[in-house]
Amino acid sequence: MSSLFNDYQPESFFDEVFSKSGKARPHYEAMLDSVGSLTPSEYSARQKAVDAAFLRQGVTFTVYGDDQGTERIFPFDLMPRIIPQREWETVEAGLIQRITALNLFLDDIYHGQKIIADKAVPSELVLSASHYRPEFRGIKVPHGIYIHICGTDLVRDGKGDYYVLEDNGRCPSGASYMLENRNAMKRAFPGLLQQLPVRPVDAYGSMLRETLAHLAPSSVLDPVIVVLTPGIYNSAYFEHCYLAKQMGVPIVEGRDLIIRNDRVFMRTTKGLEQVHVIYRRIDDDFLDPLVFRKDSLLGVPGIINAYRKGHVALANSIGTGVADDKAVYALVPKMIKYYLDQDPILPNVTTHLGVDPKECSYILDNLDKLVVKAVNESGGYGMLMGPHASKKERSEFGERIRKNPRNYIAQPVLQLSRHPVFVDDHFEGRHIDLRPYVLCGDRVRVVPGGLTRVALKKGSLVVNSSQGGGSKDTWVLWDDPLTMPAEPTPAA
Amino acid sequence: MLSRVADSIYWMARYVERAENLSRLLLSTQDLLLDAGAEGVDEAQFWQPLLATTGDEEAYSKLHKKIKGKDVVEFLALRADNPNSMLNSIRAARENARTVRDQISDEIWESLNSLRLFVESAEGKTTHRMQSAAFYERVLRGSYQFQGIADSTTPRGEIWHFLRLGTCLERADKMSRLLDTCSGLSLELPPHAQARPLRWAALLRSCSAWHAFQAQHRRLDPSRIIAYLLLDETFPRSIACCVAEAQAALQSLCDDAGLQGMPAPLRHVGRLRADLAYTTVEEVLATGLHEYIDDLQSRLNQIGEAIFQTFVQHSEVSQLPEEAPVESTASGAYHAHADEDLQVQQQQQQQ
Repeated sequence: MSSLFNDYQPESFFDEVFSKSGKARPHYEAMLDSVGSLTPSEYSARQKAVDAAFLRQGVTFTVYGDDQGTERIFPFDLMPRIIPQREWETVEAGLIQRITALNLFLDDIYHGQKIIADKAVPSELVLSASHYRPEFRGIKVPHGIYIHICGTDLVRDGKGDYYVLEDNGRCPSGASYMLENRNAMKRAFPGLLQQLPVRPVDAYGSMLRETLAHLAPSSVLDPVIVVLTPGIYNSAYFEHCYLAKQMGVPIVEGRDLIIRNDRVFMRTTKGLEQVHVIYRRIDDDFLDPLVFRKDSLLGVPGIINAYRKGHVALANSIGTGVADDKAVYALVPKMIKYYLDQDPILPNVTTHLGVDPKECSYILDNLDKLVVKAVNESGGYGMLMGPHASKKERSEFGERIRKNPRNYIAQPVLQLSRHPVFVDDHFEGRHIDLRPYVLCGDRVRVVPGGLTRVALKKGSLVVNSSQGGGSKDTWVLWDDPLTMPAEPTPAA
Repeated sequence: MLSRVADSIYWMARYVERAENLSRLLLSTQDLLLDAGAEGVDEAQFWQPLLATTGDEEAYSKLHKKIKGKDVVEFLALRADNPNSMLNSIRAARENARTVRDQISDEIWESLNSLRLFVESAEGKTTHRMQSAAFYERVLRGSYQFQGIADSTTPRGEIWHFLRLGTCLERADKMSRLLDTCSGLSLELPPHAQARPLRWAALLRSCSAWHAFQAQHRRLDPSRIIAYLLLDETFPRSIACCVAEAQAALQSLCDDAGLQGMPAPLRHVGRLRADLAYTTVEEVLATGLHEYIDDLQSRLNQIGEAIFQTFVQHSEVSQLPEEAPVESTASGAYHAHADEDLQVQQQQQQQ
């Protein structure tokens, strides 16, 4: 076996590459042979070449905190995470089932609210979610789809079982890194990708475009699609631009758009041009100062009315955040049962709701064993890692929970699976998760693989880029290249 | 193309050109000082014109009481709090490129991004401290590279025309300021045949015109130099040439947009070009070089304003018939001092 892995310790965790006995899992064998033929300095030279290329190309995100945002490359670890076909097929089926239920739930919540009338879920919990938009009830959205682009976070526990951690049905980010990571791998390990039946991801741009085009008013033959970005100061601006380029559509800011007769137009050098579909990467709150936050400088006054009248489509729709609420998350298995009459293929992580008095006191009694999360936060913010927190942090957090129990949930600390990551001149195990991208158009499609995020800090369980996380390329490895599903052709 | 995109492309090109001009100016001034050093002159008189060229005399005087070479160089090259410094020009060029990344070639973007990484790096700062000439040459090369790549990768449509407009108008503006710094100099040649009019020679060098001028005119006759840099359409950095190119770009843009008649930008640029073509250097000198340039600069500004009005504000573009005119909008391009509230809101969106 490779000398690079001789001293590698899977320890007591579920390791993606090595079994408990230290033997390589079969789907990693070919890759270990190939990586194993490299010396540490050869391997690290490839890593450095990729990092330099990312910096030069500006494949970066912005970290704020001090006065001037600093641009960093999203740390990338060269050794890919591999998912074998059989595992992937389960994950894919689970994701499709879940998004289907979530969209049915949203359509129901914004129309008849049958699930509440039938008492399958508690009414006050759903309707008190801060991202629930009562003003949007009764509005018909194209094809009844609310979440068109979803970036579900999956984790594996100590036994290697997959769980859904979060659904991210608002404006999930990271797809551009998935695509750029694959490009980097093609340069760093061309032979390996040629030799192995790895499912390609580069059709994401054209799939996204098709998904968006599907939403356009049916009278429009050749819809004008745009990506609406908050602007260059947003940490994900690179991604907005990248996806626009992949799809071959303009990237616009709110100030580029104007409403006339409840229709949306963009200001061009040749006058006004009508826009039919908007992939918006701006939160609901900022989208329209006439309806939501009045102080928004990013939005387009009147855009919500244009949407209500059906002259423009928005992806994702308004108010999907209600399904993202971490307390509502706990109800998803019930939604799957209620709407589809199925058991969830991908289970939830056990979740204790602060709003339930019994569970709340359990949370408060066990703060040192639990992860506590604010229900509306994302990006690793508003979170208490009980076992790693100081006594003071725990008691402060406890106070916050007591003040506003609806705003918190708690989960057991999962021993996330680990993957070898190159550190200095050798490999060490680090915890990872997986964010696959699900697209909902005329049918539901899941991009094979997704973004594997890595908690680069030794022992850390937090994978978010804002908290010292990095990423890996994710390979869905097919058993037989001849049976690989046909991928749509990549966008221009 | 989006109006904001046109605006950003225009400013991207302007800022690259601004950084290039500044580099060459700093280089030629340092050389001039080395030549003049033996003659034992006051260094302030060499540095003051640089501040005049960039229009930063007031900003500089807020930071420093006296004009010293070291301070001027630092102020113009790397100071982050001088919005017109080379550092900020390169940053602004790159930020504008970033806002239109989906419109320009990857190669253009990478060249500007690399240039900006260099000037902000520790290596860049060390180079500037130890060997400033090498630093300026790197910036010059960065700009040449940008122009070469832009030329060979940009389709000859709107983007290209806005790029050319930005480059030409910035170049014409800087050339006019450069000429203005010489307006107080004597037009007489030095009495000895061997003596060289150093300032006039430096002027030629600071706009890469030394060889081209020498090939056409043997003697460094100041009024010939003025005529060459101001009125000669064959030299690519002359004001006449820049205006001619701007006119060609504007003609294409107005044609593409289907603008009828004679839109304001075309009217202004055409009139200026005709004036430059039918003016002699003697007439310029009779008016006074400074006065002539003053007028020229306001006409260049008028062209820039008309471009903004026509293509970004849509004052002439046809509206939807039943609607009131589109309300005005601020420039969407990136400049060193952007709106802070907007930045904060842009940062808040994430998942």
